[in-house]
Amino acid sequence: MNRRWYALATWLTVTFGALFAPVSAFASEVEFSPDDEFALPPWIEINIFGIDMSINKAVFYIFLATVLTVAVVSLVARRMKVRPESRSQTTVELAYSLMKDNITDGNLDPKMAARWFPFIGTLFLFIWFSNMVGYIPLPVNTEHTMNIAGLEIPSFALYAATANISMPLVLTFVVWISYHVEGIRAKGLVGYVRGWVPAGVEGFMVGPILVIEVISHLVRLISLSVRLFANILAGHLLLLFMGGGLVILLGLGFVGSTILGLATGVLAVAFFLFEIGIVATLQAFIFCTLTAIYLDGAVAEEH
Amino acid sequence: MPGDLLNTTMPLLVAATEGADEGLSPLVKVVPGLMIWTILAFGVAMLVLKKYAWPPITKMLDERQQLINDSITSAEKTRSEADLLLADYRQRLTEAREQADEIISRARKAAEATKSEATSAGQEKREELVEAARRDIEAETRKALEDIRKEVANLTVLATERVTRKSLTEADQKQLVEEALREVDFSSLAGDRNN
Repeated sequence: MNRRWYALATWLTVTFGALFAPVSAFASEVEFSPDDEFALPPWIEINIFGIDMSINKAVFYIFLATVLTVAVVSLVARRMKVRPESRSQTTVELAYSLMKDNITDGNLDPKMAARWFPFIGTLFLFIWFSNMVGYIPLPVNTEHTMNIAGLEIPSFALYAATANISMPLVLTFVVWISYHVEGIRAKGLVGYVRGWVPAGVEGFMVGPILVIEVISHLVRLISLSVRLFANILAGHLLLLFMGGGLVILLGLGFVGSTILGLATGVLAVAFFLFEIGIVATLQAFIFCTLTAIYLDGAVAEEH
Repeated sequence: MPGDLLNTTMPLLVAATEGADEGLSPLVKVVPGLMIWTILAFGVAMLVLKKYAWPPITKMLDERQQLINDSITSAEKTRSEADLLLADYRQRLTEAREQADEIISRARKAAEATKSEATSAGQEKREELVEAARRDIEAETRKALEDIRKEVANLTVLATERVTRKSLTEADQKQLVEEALREVDFSSLAGDRNN
């Protein structure tokens, strides 16, 4: 236990040491613009049928999240015992119970739950790992390099695939199409669309209500994706500004910078713990719970 | 200073949230390549998890469920067995107690019987002994009287010789004395001994 705490403390020190590094370097007048942290310069340029498929920072984070999702869960699952012997099993079981009992079975009828659990479970783990690796400082900022023992390596930075709108948006598309397909499969196209209009609405009101319902379905595309994206992006921006960005932008001189750096540094630690402890898991949970609710709403008899 | 803060950060934040400015687009720019990579990665993750993660977890949970069911069933079985055993033991205990009571009461009766038997046997024995003693005494008494009689006869013969200076034949004398003694009543003497 103690060794873990030491490891965590060391990690945090390195993390914030790296983030505070610009405080001592601000005299060098490096042009700092926060949005560079979210820029995606191509690492390996790939172009397929005119689509830019270059491997960049975000793609790297998606790969990282995928590998972690697949590896961690599969490896732990393979060694599962009827009588739990390891904490990793207990943890995965806890996550499984959250995904299965709470998110899937809690919102869907058994048949739908069985069909959609693989999708929702993967969605949860994928988003959760994406969020979590986003708080591990990795040498991914190829815009800026640092010199360690004569090697020019990319600066350490925090980034998350979920802090880029593309990833949550495409996942939302998948969810959106999935629940419409489920709805049409359950009720037929006409029945499904008719189901959008609440029972009791008749005559000339059907038209406007239908329009409102269509708009509300379209808005789900934005609300589901932006909720995840904006929460993670906001967290990363907060960490960026608190962890030294503000000090550099304001350039208050040595004394002012030191005071501001210490104050914002403390806040940075607090925000960091908040993001890791609550936001990362909560957003993954909300995304998947809403997915389950949308799926259930699409096949439910009563609207 | 606050002015500086606003001047530097506000446009950035506003642009970040609105995402209209081409220059700040990394924050909100939709990148088709990234979307395709996401779909591919997600699809691969879903397939791999479906093949390698969910089946062992489900299998393990089913096994655990089975184990719990089995445990409950066997616990219920054990318990009903224990209940039966307990009832059996209770019954046996009751029976044993009854038997013990019976044995005790039988023993008590036997003891009483033995005791009264012993008492009556003792009584008889005592009476027998007393009777035997009485017979002995009577026999001894009779013998003693006989001896006394003989002694008295002899003495009388002697005394008569001295007085008369004449002796009868011994047989005559004895006959005379015996006749005389027969007339003497010794019954009172024997009666005293008896009483």
